Amino acid sequence: MTPRRFDRPGPGAPTPVRFPAIARETLDSGLGIWVVQHAPVPVATITLIVSRGTGDDPVDRHGLASLTGDLLDEGAGDRDAIQLADAFAGLGTQLEVDVGPDATALSVTTLSRVLGPVLALMADVVARPRLAAADFNRVRELRLNRLRQLSRSAATVADRMYVSAVFGTHAYGHGALGTTASLDAITLEDTREFWTRMYASSTATLIVVGDVQADEVVREARRAFGRWVGSIESGPRLTAPDAPPDPRVFLVDRPGAPQAELRLGHLGPPRQTPVYHALVGVNAVLGGQFTSRINRRLREEMGVTYGARTTFDFRRVGGAFSCDSSVDATAAADAVRDVLTEFDLIREGPVPDDELASAKASLTRGYVRNFETGGQIARAVAQIATHGLPDDTFDRFVPAIEAITAEQVQAAAEVFIRPADATIVVVGDAERSREALAAIGRPVVVSAPEF
Amino acid sequence: MTVPYTRHTLANGLDVIVHEDRRMPLVAVSVWYHVGSKNEVPGRTGLAHLFEHLMFEGSEHQPGGYFGPLQEAGASLNGSTSADRTNYWELVPRSARRLALWMEADRMGWFLPALSEARFENQRAVVLNERRQTYENRPYGLAQFVLMEALFPPDHPYYWPTIGEPADLAAATLEDVRAFFRRYYHPGNASLVIAGDVDTDDVLREVEELFGPIPAGEPVAPLPARVVPPVSRRLLYEDRVELPRLYLAWPSPVLFAPGDAELDLAADLLANGRTSRLYERLIHDRRIAVELAAGQTSRELCGTFQIIATAAPGHTLDELEATIHEEVARFAHDGPTAPEVGRGRVQAETAFALRVQSLGGFGGKADQLNAYNVYLGQPDSFDADLSRYVGATAVTLRDATSAWLDPGRAVALGVVPAGRSELSLTGATAVSVGGGA
Repeated sequence: MTPRRFDRPGPGAPTPVRFPAIARETLDSGLGIWVVQHAPVPVATITLIVSRGTGDDPVDRHGLASLTGDLLDEGAGDRDAIQLADAFAGLGTQLEVDVGPDATALSVTTLSRVLGPVLALMADVVARPRLAAADFNRVRELRLNRLRQLSRSAATVADRMYVSAVFGTHAYGHGALGTTASLDAITLEDTREFWTRMYASSTATLIVVGDVQADEVVREARRAFGRWVGSIESGPRLTAPDAPPDPRVFLVDRPGAPQAELRLGHLGPPRQTPVYHALVGVNAVLGGQFTSRINRRLREEMGVTYGARTTFDFRRVGGAFSCDSSVDATAAADAVRDVLTEFDLIREGPVPDDELASAKASLTRGYVRNFETGGQIARAVAQIATHGLPDDTFDRFVPAIEAITAEQVQAAAEVFIRPADATIVVVGDAERSREALAAIGRPVVVSAPEF
Repeated sequence: MTVPYTRHTLANGLDVIVHEDRRMPLVAVSVWYHVGSKNEVPGRTGLAHLFEHLMFEGSEHQPGGYFGPLQEAGASLNGSTSADRTNYWELVPRSARRLALWMEADRMGWFLPALSEARFENQRAVVLNERRQTYENRPYGLAQFVLMEALFPPDHPYYWPTIGEPADLAAATLEDVRAFFRRYYHPGNASLVIAGDVDTDDVLREVEELFGPIPAGEPVAPLPARVVPPVSRRLLYEDRVELPRLYLAWPSPVLFAPGDAELDLAADLLANGRTSRLYERLIHDRRIAVELAAGQTSRELCGTFQIIATAAPGHTLDELEATIHEEVARFAHDGPTAPEVGRGRVQAETAFALRVQSLGGFGGKADQLNAYNVYLGQPDSFDADLSRYVGATAVTLRDATSAWLDPGRAVALGVVPAGRSELSLTGATAVSVGGGA
């Protein structure tokens, strides 16, 4: 054996990333058809993006967008709820409906040979939902019970508390499901009106990625969606979130809980921010990866958590930055202090060269992994549709990350990581942690999110 | 469907499987060790999983931990431990293949010199956090522990949870870890898959160079299957939850045994999704349940089959239990309808096509080749596996259900809100978890 055997090999040359081309066609109704040919397996991922979401919930009807989305496939066209599910299952697949803050996505992954029948079913769901009273009552009841169940999940409680504290009364400041009170207020008529006002072909995009030909997809889409016509205003309806920072400690009591669920952060910029890449760099150094500073500190040094992460939740007109973790109940206050210290440190000085180089390398060298499957490519294309991004977004990522400097990272952190503004949410045993949390020096309010 | 491969066994016993798929500039590396919590002994539960954590902390020639150099090279990486096996994987850009293989070789051959008391203490604390976060602090999070303790006798390897009992984790020593490594972590008890943008001969040469010098270990005899008889037990567990939930559980066929695929299909037909019989009855029509699921968990020593339903407010677990047993009995007597059999078949065909989309990660092609190699000795068993599903008939589905899901001999567990024992199943005994206490 040569000594060289025990020298760790280097990472090799970087792998270039070329995002596949998107073929586009627009039907007379305004429905965009976006197709990416990606044919390693005979599979297609079909996603219909409707550019309305939980951000469009009326102030007194939180949960309406999500409830409406859920109701679409509870009966549509000639089929009731069970028949519709049977029809998708008979094609070997099922429909997923995801209602996010800025958009609603209806998705199916299936064998590409059943593209036509799947599109016909999806068209029924989006253009001819029954929105019937019996289905409405059943689904609303299930959602009320879902809310009850979630009120016992520490992670969900923390997310709710955090989102409402950070976004305040802004349309981004509530959970998709709404609350018991708002669901009680919603009527069948509300869902019908929401569907009429929000589900329009003029602002929708059908994305098909897989073993398909663009002209075939357009032909099938025209056949399936040709009768779906509706026009509404395009573009963002919401103003940027501007709730004042609330840097208090919100302590949600969970008597006897062996862990404390933590959220720390504040408002953040929208996806279209000009400093997007610098912030991706900030996040990679601070908390976006296993080897980032906060996970290293809380997990690998202190041993008080299974994991800690930071995230920029980039939305269309604004967003939030947060650090999430679940820590040993006895360590909650110390963990909060450690996270705030890391928030401070990344603002106070440039990231050392080797640390920045390492963070950048992991982002750029690993980028190619994001575009392996049709589902991954479809999600990337959906971002382009939802946020109005240019087509070269993913091709520009690697050179843009390579170009960021320690000064840019620090400058971005100074503006977008603000420990003094950070809201702190702790879901845990109040009796065990209240005193220690008070010693941090911020007001501690015992609170609870609305469910 | 076939996934072409080349298999080569090194002199030290390491199985090496290479699958070329050059459509993306990616390489998946997967290492399976045929050891899991089933190989532990009472009093030292949780050791296999704690050991997996330590494997990321460093080895003799990479003492500084495994995430740093691999992430810098663009890798994603992870590992997991089950009752039956432990796996480790990296998905890397083509150019970092040698690095990924080198890292796996170093911890397979040179792990112990980097092991320290400080690392051990740190990862034991991390695992205790994982247990509290994932199980103890999550609604219904301990229900599976209660069920396994009810289904299996205390000396059966599936009696204890893979995450381990806190007292056992506290009692574990560095010497336990060393002994565990020597016993189970050697080439003859491992299987290595490289899948993706590689040239087979080239990568086999590299594997020989990097893994060849690792000494062979004592062969590990596989544990014999030990399928337990079903038992009739009625249990109550109080938890920090809102709504009472019913769990029905039976022992079932081992992985790949006759009846295993049938029960997997039966689970979907009975209780998964809106097309299932119980969804229609319990949630859609009668509205007495709000959540529903079923599953055949296929494992090496004994399978388990479960049906889980949460009661709608105002309805009892006894009501759910009666309706579920009635529907299971009807299925076991009449079998599924022809459309149900057809639906199960087309869903299986689609699921198998979707399973080969990713090279790496949990459930990617490399992981599946390893699973088939470790459990069946035949890496490309995709078609054989699918044929079990496609070949299932109304008769075999009926027979498997009637053979295994006897309503009179089930473990029935009700998890109810703390302080609300009146919501329990009739005639249930209150239990706690951990060591059968």
